[in-house]
Amino acid sequence: MPTAIQLHQLSKRYGPTLALDALDLEVEAGEVFGYLGPNGSGKSTTIAIMLGLVRPTSGKATIFGLDVRDDLLDVHRRIAYVPSEANLWPSLTGAEVLEFLANIHGSTDTAYRDELVERFDLDPHKKVRAYSHGNRQKVPLIAAFASRADLLLLDEPTTGLDPLMEQEFRNCVRAARDRGQTVFLSSHVLSEVEAVCDRVAMLRAGRLIETGRLDVLRSLAAVHVRATFDGPAPHLDGIPGVTGVRITDHTLECEVHGPMEPLVQALATTRVTHLTTREPSLEELFMARYGGSHKPGAQGR
Amino acid sequence: MTTAAHAATSQAAHTLRTPGPGALRPERAIAWRAFRQIWIGSVAWAVAFGGTIASSAITYASTFQTEESRQQLVASTAGDAGFSILLGPTDEIGTVGGYTVYKGFVFLTTIGAVWGLLVATRLLRGEEEVGRWQLTVAGVTSPARATLATMAAIGAGIMILFGGSTLATALAGRDPDVGLSGVPVILYGASLAIAPAVFASVGALTSQLARSRRLASGIGGVIIGAAFVMRMVADAGPELRWLRWSTPFGWAEEMAPFTANNARPLIPAAITVAVLTAAATALSGRRDAGDGLLTSGDSGHPRSFGLRSSLGLATRLEFGPLLGWFCGVAAAGAVLGITAKLTTRPLPESMNDLMQKLGVAGARVDQYFGIAFLLVATVVALVPASHIGAITSEETSGRLVHVLARGVTRRQWFVGRLGLGALAVTLTALVGGFSSWAAAALQGVDFGLATALGAGANVIPTALIALGIGAAVSAWFPRAGAASVYAVVVWSLVADIMGSLGSADWLQKFSLIHYMALAPAERVEPTTIAANLIVAGALCAVAVARFERRDLECR
Repeated sequence: MPTAIQLHQLSKRYGPTLALDALDLEVEAGEVFGYLGPNGSGKSTTIAIMLGLVRPTSGKATIFGLDVRDDLLDVHRRIAYVPSEANLWPSLTGAEVLEFLANIHGSTDTAYRDELVERFDLDPHKKVRAYSHGNRQKVPLIAAFASRADLLLLDEPTTGLDPLMEQEFRNCVRAARDRGQTVFLSSHVLSEVEAVCDRVAMLRAGRLIETGRLDVLRSLAAVHVRATFDGPAPHLDGIPGVTGVRITDHTLECEVHGPMEPLVQALATTRVTHLTTREPSLEELFMARYGGSHKPGAQGR
Repeated sequence: MTTAAHAATSQAAHTLRTPGPGALRPERAIAWRAFRQIWIGSVAWAVAFGGTIASSAITYASTFQTEESRQQLVASTAGDAGFSILLGPTDEIGTVGGYTVYKGFVFLTTIGAVWGLLVATRLLRGEEEVGRWQLTVAGVTSPARATLATMAAIGAGIMILFGGSTLATALAGRDPDVGLSGVPVILYGASLAIAPAVFASVGALTSQLARSRRLASGIGGVIIGAAFVMRMVADAGPELRWLRWSTPFGWAEEMAPFTANNARPLIPAAITVAVLTAAATALSGRRDAGDGLLTSGDSGHPRSFGLRSSLGLATRLEFGPLLGWFCGVAAAGAVLGITAKLTTRPLPESMNDLMQKLGVAGARVDQYFGIAFLLVATVVALVPASHIGAITSEETSGRLVHVLARGVTRRQWFVGRLGLGALAVTLTALVGGFSSWAAAALQGVDFGLATALGAGANVIPTALIALGIGAAVSAWFPRAGAASVYAVVVWSLVADIMGSLGSADWLQKFSLIHYMALAPAERVEPTTIAANLIVAGALCAVAVARFERRDLECR
């Protein structure tokens, strides 16, 4: 499968602050890629470099094989972008902004755009200054989804959307993937990423700390085990891969990293009446990576 | 409780501020925040005002040392309606104080008025437009109290201006040849504080009316223009002098420090400030945050004009401001054309000497327009400030990102905007020339259309250099672009006038206007025009090259 985004040793320094630190990342064409990280971890800087809005201090970024520094115009023809905060022209109506953005991009499915205006419940005759924050955010979203760009760069795009519109957004992302478009989704809404993304990358202090398919990440992460037993409490000290053991009454909870077999053998010493296992949610994966260890050492933008 | 726990509790008690006697009131915090935004500008203008006043007083005392030379100046200028219309109080220029007041009158009162207006619209409507005002009034205060606190901060800034003017006058006055001291010095400082105070309160009111800072400043600008023209009309003859009481510029003139020492105009000034501030304060509490009382339709059918390209949209968005500039320069040209009638009257011999000192020659009407077009040149050279401000706003607001991310190159966008700015400068200059011709023709003054348009076109290269400077500054420091144009234009005018009148010849070399012929009274050298255009082009090229390579700045 061809590569949509390739970042090689990408670094960005703002004065003394290192916002991105030798970032390597590949996103395949046609996938929905989730880009996660706490505030200031460098997510927006990565997108700004891909858009050519800021220049990398070192390293290289290519979109569909085109260097964003040398072939920026060709890159822009193949992407659509939605910022986290839609600052638009206050004196224009929503319809006028959509028309303008379509005209300068050059590839828009106007019938689909009209459909999206309906689905997102946007009044296009209102001026931008009269829109609420959420309604204003719908304008660049509609413009991006209606475009026939090969890559959608979405930087926390659902800021201000209500749950119904959030659902519509997810439908649009899936539809974009079905059309063969690539979606790069930077988001704080972990449920949203979990619902639509094929792969995710986690960023901390300008460095990638995890990349992969969600199911693989889950399989590599600790599995939560809950067992109820009718007998003496099992001894789990020193069992390989078992951490966080909590025993209350006749209930045992723990996390298991790696093979389950040592825990099963240990539990065989007592009479287990009920046993459940659960893979971690993305939120738990996220918290496991960042919880308590998020230091603002290299705050990005 | 352990010692550590006691310490923690104690620290928490110190950290948590609760309102009480001696606690910082929210309004004081608001006023302090507002003051921090303007104090540097206040000090800078105080220094500029002080420097202008001191140099005028000292130069006069050293240039016109004898009573005879002063009487000659009085004979040439005092009582001349043309000079009075253009420059204000000429009656007492036979004295150091009278001349100092006359010399800085138009410049200092106009700058003060514009500064006061812009400060108020920036701190009130500007803050509200970007949403910070809403954050402020969400605290333990009300919109009315917050407005009043902000006005108090502006008042403090005006006091700095007053202090700088008064101090500089007093220091210059210690020179025995100058000899200015006492209450008149304070009255002079107060006369210069009238325009900023009144127009700051005008700005406070327009900030309640308009929904954007730009519109609030624009409405205020029209009011300043009307007040300025009213002052000019009042100075056209003794029978119209009562009209001085209808305009803040007239109040400042009527005070006549060092001669009449009339403090009464401070009364209408104080009443106006109080009434406008009270109205602004009351209105701020009676409207929705983020909204203005002048509401326009919030919806409409799409208009396709300007939506096909980024340059088209810029043209559409800049059309309104450009019309405003057309009106402003047309009004300035019309006033100059109307007052050209005065050139048909006999002129004292000494007046010719003064004209020669300013470097103009030829027919009387040409000499007049040669100097008068300095005003048109100043207005036209300020057009780029508005344009550069709009360019910067597109970038810093984040709107430019939508354009650049959709196949418009930075070069394409920036060059287009600069081209639009150049077109705006050209059209504004020609409108100025045309309106002065039309007004002069109505008065029966022999001033040809081609000559008038030529005089208008003559200011274009100078204004384009101002555009180039603004572009270059904004390419490095986006938020300083528009301010740099204002600074360069105002500086150029002051340096050229001061240099022309012999106080400091070297200053002229650093004035853009020095490199502009005073057409039609001076011959326009094609090489000078070409050199100016090359400089403007080079500045724009450097700006484009830098803009292409730097990181975009957006919030």
